Amino acid sequence: MKLLYPPCDNSVRNRLGKAPNFEASKITIMRFILLLSLPFLFTACIGDDIIPDTVEERVVITNPIDSLLLGTTHRFEARFLNRVGQIEEELVDWTSSAPEVLSIDAEGRASALAVGTADVTATINRPDTDPIAISHTVNVAEEVATPVVISDRTGTLRTTTFYTLGGDFVLKSVDDQLVLELADNYEASSNLPGLYLYLTNNPSTTANALELGEVSVYEGAHSYTLPTTVERNSYSHLLYFCKPFNVKVGDGAFDN
Amino acid sequence: MIFRTLILLLFFSFGTTSLQAGGGWPQPQGHGYFKLFQWWVIADQHFTDLGGIDPNVTNGIFNTGFYGEYGITNRLTGIVYLPFFSRAYFNNTVSGTTGEVLIPGEAINSFGDTDIGLQYGLITKGPVVWSATLRLGIPLGNSAGGSEGNLQTGDGEFNQLLRFDASTSFRLGKLNSYASVYGGYNNRTRGFSDELHFGAEVGVSFLKDHRLTTIFRLIGTRSMKNGSLNDGINNTSIFANNSEFISLSPELAYQLDDHWGVSASFASAISGKIIFANPSYSVGVFYRW
Repeated sequence: MKLLYPPCDNSVRNRLGKAPNFEASKITIMRFILLLSLPFLFTACIGDDIIPDTVEERVVITNPIDSLLLGTTHRFEARFLNRVGQIEEELVDWTSSAPEVLSIDAEGRASALAVGTADVTATINRPDTDPIAISHTVNVAEEVATPVVISDRTGTLRTTTFYTLGGDFVLKSVDDQLVLELADNYEASSNLPGLYLYLTNNPSTTANALELGEVSVYEGAHSYTLPTTVERNSYSHLLYFCKPFNVKVGDGAFDN
Repeated sequence: MIFRTLILLLFFSFGTTSLQAGGGWPQPQGHGYFKLFQWWVIADQHFTDLGGIDPNVTNGIFNTGFYGEYGITNRLTGIVYLPFFSRAYFNNTVSGTTGEVLIPGEAINSFGDTDIGLQYGLITKGPVVWSATLRLGIPLGNSAGGSEGNLQTGDGEFNQLLRFDASTSFRLGKLNSYASVYGGYNNRTRGFSDELHFGAEVGVSFLKDHRLTTIFRLIGTRSMKNGSLNDGINNTSIFANNSEFISLSPELAYQLDDHWGVSASFASAISGKIIFANPSYSVGVFYRW
């Protein structure tokens, strides 16, 4: 190694040598600045990030029951969810697989006529498209539990990123109120800023989703009491979403 | 808010490092180095806390600023870093199915966080020169802009970086060259983790009269993991704690005449945790005398 310069004179760039003096250098510099500035005027604008958010169109029965007391009625309700998981008004056709056991009218009002089992089906019929239907099995009995039995909905969280997220969950009715319970094996990264939990019918976006709040528990069992406006089948997924990043962290589909 | 820490960490680490003029050499008394620069990053992905790369809504920050070094004495150099215009934004999130804007983008414009400092030449003669630099980070930027507080042009905390540089010049074949290494400790406030800063760079000059200088930098930051979550800070400041990276940053500097020159550089993290995974860029015009 050979030292080229005395160690205390000027900056590194200076000691690397001098360039010839150019008459037009300042004009060149101003042109350079102008040219450099132009791209920034455009690239600094807000653009669009397009996300794939298509989901399968479907119809859901929002207030199913598993059993109905002989001689009583229940008004079923259904909603149609379009290809982005948004509710759309559509006419629902109601049918029963065993009308002698459980009859149902055009408004979705079912009447328990005889002991047995029947499948209630809600169908959306639209021109130029295939029908979309959902069925639910109802037992008609002389005695049923009080309150009327509604099976729990279960699922498992999965991460869709490199952040930790996992665990089982169950949606159940407790004292006539829906409660979402996360199991002991639940875990989530605490290094995510602004991690929020949503119920949604489109796991790609928070649009039309119900925000349950910012996540404050990152390990172990805990629960959320849902608003009374939420019905058992109102949503198909749990969605964990990082608000500051506007990015999905993970989700969990209800199995039933 | 996450952008505050991600972008600013990236900026102050990648950005200001490439602005410096002299490595371990302080400016001679009455001489200086000034640079008007544009620095920017557009990022649609980031390193997670586990070191993987995940996508995020596209963020951008554009800083136009001024960097200056002035030799107060032959050993003492004053330093100022002044981003006088800083713009931060994030994109609209748009449905690919309907074209509807699901989450509208936002932007803020403001002054940016500013650094002032002093560099002192500890050993100014001999084959290797040493200097110590104290830089104070003044939080003049916006630390919680936008409707969700997730746009920032400053980190909202006052930090103090003490750094030591060692530099030497040498000949590489027929080419004039130099090399520098540095290490420093950044003491951060408001619950942010302190940081170790380290790096090395090699510069080689080319062309007639050494007008073109190429510089290669390897720089890094390691968290001391001693930060605490503070209720007074937006929770996204979690990202300020324990952020780490190692990056490569090449630069070209072209001397137009005895005083004026232009430079361009970029920096890209080759590994990291909780930091953007896209490269940053910088261009500038400098003047030295």
